[in-house]
Amino acid sequence: MRYYARKLGFYLVALWAALTLNFLIPRMMPGNPVDTLLIKLQQRGGSVGPDVRRSYELLLGADTGDPLFQQYAEYLGNMFRGELGVSVSAFPAPVTEVISQSLSWTIVLVGIATLLSFLVGVVLGTVVGWKRGSWLDSLVPATTVLSAVPYFWLALIFALVFSSSLGWFPRSGGYDVALATGWNYEFINSAVYHGFLPALTIVVSSVGGWLLGMRNMMVSTMSEDYILTAQAKGLRNRRIMTRYAARNAVLPSVAGFAISLGFVVSGSIVTEQVFSYPGIGSKLLQAVENSDYALMQGIFLVITIAVLGANLIVDLLYGLIDPRTRVEN
Amino acid sequence: MTNLSPLTGSADEGAPLAGPDPDPSPGRRPRASGMRALVPTWSPKLATGLVLVLGIGLFGLFGPMLVGDPNAIDSMGMTSPSGDFWLGTTQTGQDVFAQLAHATRGSLQIGLLVGVLATLLSAVFGIIGGYVGGAIDEGFSLFSNVMLVIPGLPLVIVIAGFVPVQDRGWWTIGLVLAITSWAASARVLRAQTLSLRNRDYVAAARVAGEKRWRVVSVEILPNLLPLLASQFVFAIIAGILAEAGLSFLGLGASGSQTLGTMLYFAQNGFALQNEAWWWFVPPGAVIALFGCGLALINFSIDEIINPKLRVPKPPKGDAAEAIEVAVAPVPIEGAAAEAPAAPGVVRVEKRRDAVLTVKDLNVVYRTAQPVHAVKDVSITLGRGEILGLAGESGSGKTTLAYAINRLHRPPAEVASGSVTFHDRDGGDLDLLTLGDEELRRFRWAKLSMVFQGAMNSLNPVITINEQLDDVLTTHRPDMPRAERRARCEEVLHLVGVDPARLGSFPHELSGGMRQRVMIAMAMLLDPQVMIMDEPTTALDVVVQRGILREIIRLRDELGFAVVFITHDLPMLLELSDRIAVMRAGEIVEYAEADQIYDNPTHPYTRQLLESFPSLTGERGAFIRTGERTPR
Repeated sequence: MRYYARKLGFYLVALWAALTLNFLIPRMMPGNPVDTLLIKLQQRGGSVGPDVRRSYELLLGADTGDPLFQQYAEYLGNMFRGELGVSVSAFPAPVTEVISQSLSWTIVLVGIATLLSFLVGVVLGTVVGWKRGSWLDSLVPATTVLSAVPYFWLALIFALVFSSSLGWFPRSGGYDVALATGWNYEFINSAVYHGFLPALTIVVSSVGGWLLGMRNMMVSTMSEDYILTAQAKGLRNRRIMTRYAARNAVLPSVAGFAISLGFVVSGSIVTEQVFSYPGIGSKLLQAVENSDYALMQGIFLVITIAVLGANLIVDLLYGLIDPRTRVEN
Repeated sequence: MTNLSPLTGSADEGAPLAGPDPDPSPGRRPRASGMRALVPTWSPKLATGLVLVLGIGLFGLFGPMLVGDPNAIDSMGMTSPSGDFWLGTTQTGQDVFAQLAHATRGSLQIGLLVGVLATLLSAVFGIIGGYVGGAIDEGFSLFSNVMLVIPGLPLVIVIAGFVPVQDRGWWTIGLVLAITSWAASARVLRAQTLSLRNRDYVAAARVAGEKRWRVVSVEILPNLLPLLASQFVFAIIAGILAEAGLSFLGLGASGSQTLGTMLYFAQNGFALQNEAWWWFVPPGAVIALFGCGLALINFSIDEIINPKLRVPKPPKGDAAEAIEVAVAPVPIEGAAAEAPAAPGVVRVEKRRDAVLTVKDLNVVYRTAQPVHAVKDVSITLGRGEILGLAGESGSGKTTLAYAINRLHRPPAEVASGSVTFHDRDGGDLDLLTLGDEELRRFRWAKLSMVFQGAMNSLNPVITINEQLDDVLTTHRPDMPRAERRARCEEVLHLVGVDPARLGSFPHELSGGMRQRVMIAMAMLLDPQVMIMDEPTTALDVVVQRGILREIIRLRDELGFAVVFITHDLPMLLELSDRIAVMRAGEIVEYAEADQIYDNPTHPYTRQLLESFPSLTGERGAFIRTGERTPR
């Protein structure tokens, strides 16, 4: 139980750190984002009442004379109420609405792609590690080339080959715009069709890392005494490979999931940009281009919370698959 | 040769069978001897990696001096590669090749900057935190873990979004990238430092009162060096990739020219729509090749960090030939195994009822300098007999034991000889020629083992029950679940472990209990032979004695034969019926225990007996209980 309490506590601290970072960054940066934002807002025909100004000031910091601590307390209050302000680039939609529209696209795309690449990488890594010294070893250098390839460049190449040249997949977008959004076969079909290339990009560029990590751990694990015991026990090779070697070798990969998830999310933001995918990454860039600071911060927070949540789930899972963590110290 | 061929172990790792001199002491220093271990071994991978990295590095360093102005605009836009423009031109007629040279330099610069900064940060937070421990470690670790879970690129994008373009300098971007990327490697370094700190030799240095900085710099840092190098290499790749991503989004350092900005201009210049591959393929390819080169170098570093990753080189043909001659191989004769053992070595007459006959067995480690680990060994194990196998470390006793069950891993190889198992039901099995599947069925069912490293012989992540049950489900597929459970409880009961422990994980048991579980596991299938390789070495004397008594009692009750391997000759005198003394791969004396006690013939046996301290000064006083078990 202590393990789980610790993990939960940690993610609360991380969440608090992200919120605080979000509060501090605009205040530490040069320039006056509030004025920039308000001018833009006026240009779009928004009314700039004192309460709107106040909420931006809390979010972005301005010389209001209030002590920093009070600003911080009010800012945290706003965050917990989910008041992230109004988006300028998508005026008059509030930031939360803009985010909720695009978030699910990214979660489904990145989620499925990451899960797929993890599974494929771990399974391949298990086999390559087990059959060390065979021709499968030549797969290993190939994967390093893939993991050194920039996500967006691979995306560009895929777009060139599979959509521009071959015309197999659409060049951009997340679904056929002619279709109405909804949970029907046609729409889902078109979403899968459009999401295929972005997902392929993420899988191809991240699978090598999983494969290599798993392969190396397999090789290390195979010289453990319990593998020798398993062989002496006359167990079948397949069982030794899965239940004795891979079962132990996979632990660092799961523990390292947090590290990789950050990379994958970062990579997918840029990938979304290449494919003009209607996800949160494209929205973030759009916000940056339009100096839509409120949206920028809102998206940063949401991405962070999503990543924290995913990591929490993986950590809780880790507690289940490694009995030793439960008796920490 | 065996079905274990994929499980090659390298000679440097000191695993039980990887060298002729297995070192039984736990917590050995992982550092290979000498500085040579820190230099990567030459391999095609390393060569390719170096060529790629050096080539691109030189291109970035000198290329910009040799090419024309990358920004010169020409009326000839979007031309494909030609003699004048090796990589064609951009939309505005700029020379892509010239741009590539400058961009490579820019990217390498920022990569190096990020690499150095990130590695420094991670070393400070990881190593210091990991070693000092306590509140500082908690704080550092919490800080780096928080930094780790906050996704880097979104943070960088937000920061870049707030910084006005004119303020976005080269250093700013480098610093921001370093700050958002050090955490992962700090965590790796901390974990490694923690694990090193808890190794026996570091604990020893601390107990010996060595100063903190000395322990860190002498005991820990050298072991971390390869890891640091590999983290540095990764930080460079990550830096280049992150900068490229940022620049591709138009958020890079202002006025900088990197591979990322090239791709940004290519994207915005509709290179993709025009299928102007020469514009956007080369920058990405340079990043990929450079990253790949670094990763290949990293492989070699990884193999230093973890020697197990090395693929052992096959020995040269001549060496193998040479040893073959030296061994003077005896053809394997399965049927002739019944024949009396070689004269001179075996002085005991062959028992009527033998269960295992080893005849003229030779085991050779086919390394660069072949080692003849077991030489012409012949032993006969009677049914229900306890045979002691004594000898110093490296005398080949473990190698012999493993070869009997064909558990030896390359480069160990059985050069000649035969091992015959005489089944209770009458049939003989030639163990060295058994097919893989037959061998698998034979193992544990008829001959089980308790290992030298028995403390680590249990799989740490599954319960005791699952590990016992595994044997039954594999060898007795028809046994119902309840019966399997009952059998597992029964064997645990036999060795004096509470059957309630079945649900426990190995780490929840004491060392002695784990050993008892291993013995219980070895008895599951009611085997006829049990090979015990130093089963009690790591245990304290009281526990050791308890387990030995247990073994004798169980042998008396169940009637299995035991090959008991140890360097502790006095213990064997109490325990065994017969004793074989091994030295440098040969059996120098093989006789009844009484005979060896009363009248050792070989000088080495006498030496071994005398090497145990005597309290009274008289020979024979080494017997620890003072009484011999009557036999």
